[in-house]
Amino acid sequence: MLFTSLGFYVFLAGTLAVFALLPPAFRWFWLLGASAFFYGASNPGNLAFLAGVTLVVLFTAWLLKRARTPFVRRASLAFGLSVIVGALAAFKYFDTAMQSVVGVLAADSSLRAALGGWHLPTAPAGFSFYTFAAASYLIDVARGRIAAPASAGHAAAYLAWFPKLLAGPIDRATNFLPQIAKPLSPDPGGFVLGLELIAFGLFKKAVIADNLAPLVDRVYGIPAFASPVELALSVYFFAFQIYCDFSGYTDIALGISLLFGVRLAENFRRPYLSLSVREFWGERWHISLSQWFRDYLYVPLGGSRTGRGRMYLNLMFVFVVSGLWHAGLGYGVGWTFLAWGALNGAYHCIGTAARPLWSKLEVSWPSAWNSTGVRLARVLVTFHLIAIGWVFFRARSVADALLVLKRLATRALDLPGLIWHYPFTTDHWLGIGLIALLIAVEWADEKRSIFARLASYPVAVRWAACYLLLAALAILGRWQSREFIYMQF
Amino acid sequence: MRTLLNPALRFVAIGIVLYGLLGYAAERLTLAVGHSNPIFKILAASEVNYDWVILGASHAMPLDFDGFGARLERETGHRILNLGSLGTGPLYNRFVLDVFLRKHRAGSLLYIVDAFSFRSSAWNEERFSDVKLVRGAPLDRDVASLLLRYVREDGIPAYAALDYLTLFSKINNRDRFAQDTWEGERQFDRIYRPSPAMVRKRIDYLYPEPPNRVISERYLASFEALIDAARQRGMTVTVVRMPLPPDFRRALPDESSFDAELARRLAQRGTPFHDFASALDDPRYFFDTDHLNRQGAEAFLDCCLRPILAPGRPQAVQAR
Repeated sequence: MLFTSLGFYVFLAGTLAVFALLPPAFRWFWLLGASAFFYGASNPGNLAFLAGVTLVVLFTAWLLKRARTPFVRRASLAFGLSVIVGALAAFKYFDTAMQSVVGVLAADSSLRAALGGWHLPTAPAGFSFYTFAAASYLIDVARGRIAAPASAGHAAAYLAWFPKLLAGPIDRATNFLPQIAKPLSPDPGGFVLGLELIAFGLFKKAVIADNLAPLVDRVYGIPAFASPVELALSVYFFAFQIYCDFSGYTDIALGISLLFGVRLAENFRRPYLSLSVREFWGERWHISLSQWFRDYLYVPLGGSRTGRGRMYLNLMFVFVVSGLWHAGLGYGVGWTFLAWGALNGAYHCIGTAARPLWSKLEVSWPSAWNSTGVRLARVLVTFHLIAIGWVFFRARSVADALLVLKRLATRALDLPGLIWHYPFTTDHWLGIGLIALLIAVEWADEKRSIFARLASYPVAVRWAACYLLLAALAILGRWQSREFIYMQF
Repeated sequence: MRTLLNPALRFVAIGIVLYGLLGYAAERLTLAVGHSNPIFKILAASEVNYDWVILGASHAMPLDFDGFGARLERETGHRILNLGSLGTGPLYNRFVLDVFLRKHRAGSLLYIVDAFSFRSSAWNEERFSDVKLVRGAPLDRDVASLLLRYVREDGIPAYAALDYLTLFSKINNRDRFAQDTWEGERQFDRIYRPSPAMVRKRIDYLYPEPPNRVISERYLASFEALIDAARQRGMTVTVVRMPLPPDFRRALPDESSFDAELARRLAQRGTPFHDFASALDDPRYFFDTDHLNRQGAEAFLDCCLRPILAPGRPQAVQAR
């Protein structure tokens, strides 16, 4: 069931209706059942994966609770993490790795024939997300941040919570469990905000992302055939497509959770207004994943408390692992994700190395450094660095990505003239207009939340804005079941 | 939460009114740009009585491209309504015939038959929910009630009826200002250059599933029901296979056994079946892998169609 399908909203209305009729203390149990139904609706086999991860988590948490010595505690945690992360790695990479092995073997080799028949089942949508949630739960239990297990049912509900099951956010159990442990009872303000978030998320996904997608797909299908203007447009369009696709999903997930009185962690904070790559990854883009890597990988590796060389190594390692985690999300499994992770790691390292210089500039010329012009330039440079990274994320191969970047670099000076003569279609103008609208909204949101602004306006203005949004969904939305990029494993 | 109830009801009520206005505008646009949709053609038909009604999938459509339908009427001296539509099998065509027979009459039915349309629900039940077909069909009470009957009795998706009744596909139509025409009509004067790759791609598209006797049987039964419905209204029925280029014909999977079964059933019912598949063996008569171009339609009219539509009508009379 996709958040953009009619069937999902029938399911949501039914779930809400029963939820409202139940005594608050039993509502979490109903939501656990609804989550299982949601996940198993498209393929009941999905539930086996979720149940497997849940059982490993509960068993490991049980072991951790009974562990008397640090060694047993560490061993129990290592067991749980290796099963969960091992399963994630195996389901993601086994077939690709086996194909590579088979590929290098001689054509007539019997070993090749034998290995060629080895396959693992494809893991279902959302597996990357709930395994990471499961790992964070176990680490938090081991660190004593969560009583192990507070309730097996609550832990299962945390892993299975349907709004975030397929594509996050990777909400922490420390945020989720206390909410579900109390009787769930949504407040009117949260309910209205939830509906607004769902509508805004759908607008980002069905109107912006899915209207940009065909233009991007056409160019990345055979980039060698695309003109420089088409390549440039596809690079910009994809940057906004992936943002609106993923943050649209998150907005809907946050909104649905609010309808049931659950507040999930914020996952996006206007990322393309970042002043630096560090700010982009650390504070604004896929925040729940960045924090996961920070807390469960970067800090345990020593983080920035070690020497400078080790710190850069840690940073690169975290970004490369992040790239590997993204492999399989929407665009297959390939070296492109490794290149994407490494490139962003390199940005981060260079940014960190240059920080003393920026600080010196800020101290020496504070007014110039903080002027609108310089800030805008920093936003634009950061955006373009990130957009270059997205080329690797979206391209089908590293060779394709390099081809796109090389052709853009060699024709960069010709682009203004070429754009002037380019036959823009209605779809191009629609895409450009929607991106401009999004930037304007985000710019306003940066100063004060648009939802807070809306709440302060008279009812007529508030409702008019809502009707406009809904009309845009009906008139411009693409509803032909295009999956969310980030939910494809 | 109770405090939200009254404002929510007001919000929804105003929303329904606004949606209705959007729907009204979309419906007006549908009527303004309508052209090739069979339901649109029926509802916009100037006559009540016709001599011939033509049904079938896209192979029937060139007979109405770019004024060719008017020429057909002129040359045969008959009133002809061509209701062929893209990718539609017997179930959808039965629905179109039922819509037609609600308010119109015809003496004869010419069914342009294609084996592929008997092989998959993609060309039958699923066609009802194709937004391109739904959005081109103007809202009409009779069509709506028939659609609901098909949902109940023939298992077409309920959301097809929901889409039609809520006008959603019309409001959401990306090509709302463009004439509702199949792109094939714009290529009517083009000449096809044979391409094995194109033929392979086309065959893969037309035959998404391997041959399945149960599925074919279901749609043959639907086809027989269509013929019975036409006969009950006093129509004579003629079934025709259109000419196809030789490379395309050779690539058709399991065609001979289907043809034999179809011919057997039609013979049992005494329904004439004319197989013109190899009547025009030159690619210059086609604008793509399998559709007649203008030259092909003219040649087909001369060689095959005229004796069926207007038997005994001399050429001189036809020309006049």
